[in-house]
Amino acid sequence: MAAKKSVLFKIKRQANPKAEPRWEEFELPWHSGMNVISSLMEIAANPVTRAGRTTTPVTYDSNCLEEVCGSCAMLINGKARMACSALVDKLEQPIRLEPFSKFPVVRDLAVDRGVLFENLKAVKAWVPVDGSYDLGPGPRMTMEDQEAAYPLSRCISCCCCMEACPQFNEETNFVGAAAISQVRLFNTHPTGAALKRERLAALMGDGGIHECGYAQNCVEVCPKDIPLTRSIAEVGGAVMKQAIGDLFRK
Amino acid sequence: MSTANPPALLDVEEGVAPLRAGQGHSFFLRRLHSLSGIIPVGAFLIEHFISNAFATRGPVAYAKQVELLSSFPFVVGLELFGIWLPILYHALYGFYIWYHGEGNVTEYPWAGNWMYNAQRWTGAIAFFYMVWHTWHLRFSGVHILTHPAAAFGKVQLEFQNPLALAFYTVGIFCASWHFAYGLWLFAAKWGITTGDAARRKFGYVCFAIGLLFILVGAATMYSFLNTPLQPLEPVSGTESFVMR
Repeated sequence: MAAKKSVLFKIKRQANPKAEPRWEEFELPWHSGMNVISSLMEIAANPVTRAGRTTTPVTYDSNCLEEVCGSCAMLINGKARMACSALVDKLEQPIRLEPFSKFPVVRDLAVDRGVLFENLKAVKAWVPVDGSYDLGPGPRMTMEDQEAAYPLSRCISCCCCMEACPQFNEETNFVGAAAISQVRLFNTHPTGAALKRERLAALMGDGGIHECGYAQNCVEVCPKDIPLTRSIAEVGGAVMKQAIGDLFRK
Repeated sequence: MSTANPPALLDVEEGVAPLRAGQGHSFFLRRLHSLSGIIPVGAFLIEHFISNAFATRGPVAYAKQVELLSSFPFVVGLELFGIWLPILYHALYGFYIWYHGEGNVTEYPWAGNWMYNAQRWTGAIAFFYMVWHTWHLRFSGVHILTHPAAAFGKVQLEFQNPLALAFYTVGIFCASWHFAYGLWLFAAKWGITTGDAARRKFGYVCFAIGLLFILVGAATMYSFLNTPLQPLEPVSGTESFVMR
């Protein structure tokens, strides 16, 4: 096989949140083991377009470079995924890089994913242990619960599941699969379960779990292989049980 | 250094709004939409396919079944509250859901995403088919509630038009598909089939249910097409009908 001599990138640029987006092309010499983030680093070291014009380095979020921090999610050839684990040799060229389409652009490929943080707060995605005295050790968790909870705890807040979801948009304001899965995680936790009813009640609000259309893109794009459709089904059942129970309790 | 105004760089657009925890009525409306697809709309679909399948046993058996259905007390009330209003709610809220969704099957061409889109298209086609079908068979021409014996011939007359025949075929196919996948969606969303294996197995069950509906519909259509044309006017003495 003849080695590829160069790698072509088409990158959607936007100078600031209000600016009109524009496309720029970059050509890099090919070498083995390239990924999208390493390519963006090379562009930053020498920000010259394919046409030879000097430009600004491309802005993007990244941190860990090993698919555990969730920062570098972007649209790569139209699909939501992590740039650090997107190997250049496995991508069709020219490689199209765009910022997430459903999150406000800050600059270039960097977007504001604050909505997930707001949603995690809205569903109380934490274990309530803060207090003025030592609460002592919590109850033990069964092996079975641990095994169910661990995959859920792998969420890196990259928001790929939300970007790929046809129901996540400004019309529905759907909460998204990540937050629903975190509800399952913290409701499974013996101490976290103290807030179970509040979390399920939160998901009955506008933009809640009912907005899910079960297109199942979330579970396909999730870089951490979190069983998101299972979480939606389980939390959906728990929400329904609580809603029907509330008809008689309230 | 602190400034009075946040830097302009952070002045981003609004984007998707956060969850309105516990606020609003969309949960009730959406779950009512989901439930109405099973009860009463799905239940009616089962009844409708079974009743029409009496056509496979000939015009007399078909007339008897139509007569049985039209003999129910408060039949118009049953139709209104058990069939028409639930279908209207399910359809109109369904269009509302479709309008608010943002299909992306081009970018993410996966099975579940295709089915998401197909559920919207089959629902819409089935709805427009049902409006036309109800208007033709229930509200125009011979009144089959008072003339059950004319029902068989009325359907046959309808089938004389190849376009109408094609619309029936498409309508039966879409309604069967929409109901079968709707059952699967209901089980997944209401937390009945939570596990991946359970969802996959129930998928086979729903596929079989959809296929069964299509086959029953095909057998029924075949009977209407392969029986000599029945008269629309009741033959005196052979029919016992009461004005309702």
